[in-house]
Amino acid sequence: MGVAFVALLFAIDALVPTLYDASLPTRAQDGLTLALSVLIESLPFVVLGVVLSIVVQVWVPPGALERWMPRRAWARRMVLSLLGMFIPVCECGNVPFARGLLMRGFTVPETLTFLIAAPIVNPIVIITTHQAFGFDDGILVARLLGGYAIANLVGWLYSRHPSPDSLLTERFRDTCALRQAQGPGVGARGHWNRTLAQFVIELRAVMPALIIGSALAGAVQVLVPRDTLLAIGSNPALSIVAMIALAMVVSICSNVDSFFALSFASTFTPGSIVAFLLVGPLVDVKMLALMRTTFTWRTLGGIVVVVVLAAFAIGTGVNLLV
Amino acid sequence: MSKSHALATRWLGVGLATVLAVVTLGLGLTGRLGLYINPESAWWAMGMAVVMLIGAVASFALPLGAEEEGHDHGHDDPVAEPVEASTLRQAQGPRTAQGPRTAQGPRTAQVRNAAALVATVTGGVVASGVVLTALVLPPATLSADLAMSRNIGAAPLFAGADAVTLAASGDTTAFGVGEWATVFATATNPETFDGDAVELSGFATPSEDGDFTLTRLVITHCVIDAQPAGLPVVTDGELPETGQWVNVSGTVRATSDGRLVVDAASIEPIDEPGDPYEY
Repeated sequence: MGVAFVALLFAIDALVPTLYDASLPTRAQDGLTLALSVLIESLPFVVLGVVLSIVVQVWVPPGALERWMPRRAWARRMVLSLLGMFIPVCECGNVPFARGLLMRGFTVPETLTFLIAAPIVNPIVIITTHQAFGFDDGILVARLLGGYAIANLVGWLYSRHPSPDSLLTERFRDTCALRQAQGPGVGARGHWNRTLAQFVIELRAVMPALIIGSALAGAVQVLVPRDTLLAIGSNPALSIVAMIALAMVVSICSNVDSFFALSFASTFTPGSIVAFLLVGPLVDVKMLALMRTTFTWRTLGGIVVVVVLAAFAIGTGVNLLV
Repeated sequence: MSKSHALATRWLGVGLATVLAVVTLGLGLTGRLGLYINPESAWWAMGMAVVMLIGAVASFALPLGAEEEGHDHGHDDPVAEPVEASTLRQAQGPRTAQGPRTAQGPRTAQVRNAAALVATVTGGVVASGVVLTALVLPPATLSADLAMSRNIGAAPLFAGADAVTLAASGDTTAFGVGEWATVFATATNPETFDGDAVELSGFATPSEDGDFTLTRLVITHCVIDAQPAGLPVVTDGELPETGQWVNVSGTVRATSDGRLVVDAASIEPIDEPGDPYEY
């Protein structure tokens, strides 16, 4: 039946577009093209993230990860914020992987630290940022250290929360409880049944959010004039605000956002470029939609405030120093 | 779990992802994936789409609803039927200890469930609409209007100093509009390039420095990061309409004020090429 379903979709994909000559209005078509490009680009990473999440939840024995972790909470967070160096998943795939960490029993502050750091502190992003900027104006160093610092700041702030689990959505807390009760590999269904069940559950959680986030990113790009945002590029403070706003709406993958930012380097301040490279991977509209599958709106609001203020401060510091 | 809820769970997760995987493979197999992402990463997108389809087919082996046996759906997912969560909560660890709704009255809970129901159904319909539209509509390129709206007046730096060095050495055979745009924007000795022959294709957009601008969108990773590269073209002939694709043959000329333009010897209207972007 599964094969028939897939075959039917292939038949529709091949035949239906040839049956008529319909097209959308220009703006709507541009918005759909942009949204679909984000989806096609993101899907491989989401699938990889789901696979890694399943591995962590179902196949890695209890204690296998935990025994390598420091005991002190701050040290654990610092180690987790470097986990992105070994997990080749861009920010879309980090969300299902982070859900896997939570279901495995990692705390909310620890998982948040990983989730915030991984899109920036990973080898692909380091290489592409270096390709784009080299060591000019300290942009690469400010991005790396800034991302690492913001992640640990967010983790530390939420570790002070009196009830960190209330930062999660109620539904996700129950999902965690169910998985923790079952334990890895425990239960009549066995490993493979749990693998399939997690595959279904994680995709159910992530896909609608990813699609709506991508559609939002596409819609914003065709509806918000870019020159309006960028008319203030040379002002040291306003340029940072403009680039933060741009980062939140364009939703470009952190693996390649440096090349996009490079075109603004001639008109915008280095600090505003750093702010763009810090904010985009962490709290753009697509990422927020994905994170909403797991965290409450209140939590996301707090994260956005911390990330934006920290990025503004780091960007201002770069502008003052270079 | 009701059958309708179980079907909704499968459709909104595995179903939507499967449709996207099919769209990806359909575009890849017909050589049109470059309309959305850089062809260099096509192998990765198509490979993971195959993994997705394998998972989708395998998921049919899992009985409908079996993925959430014993799971409570009475709150944040209002599509589901209300089920008592108390058994689960009592049985589980600290992550379920916080129950914000436990302090709410039944009316508050009803209002919240109704609002969440509307949000979930709306989100599901929108997500399904986007994906199914992508499935049944033919692929499309970005419009000239969007390319113009993305022109921020800043110098494009697609190829950096390498393009200028290559151009100065005379090796411009593989140059597209993107590379030449970098040269035009950054060359410190414009006269070096005066007289270089060019033959380029792109679409026409309005120009401040020439009679029209020959424009191409340049993609790094996917079309969301597409940026316009443009070359000012001067001609004594008829000007193409905005958005019209043309093939321009001519010569690079340095103007008296130190700018570079393409002096067109011929401007031939063409259909939009199968690979309209540069990478």
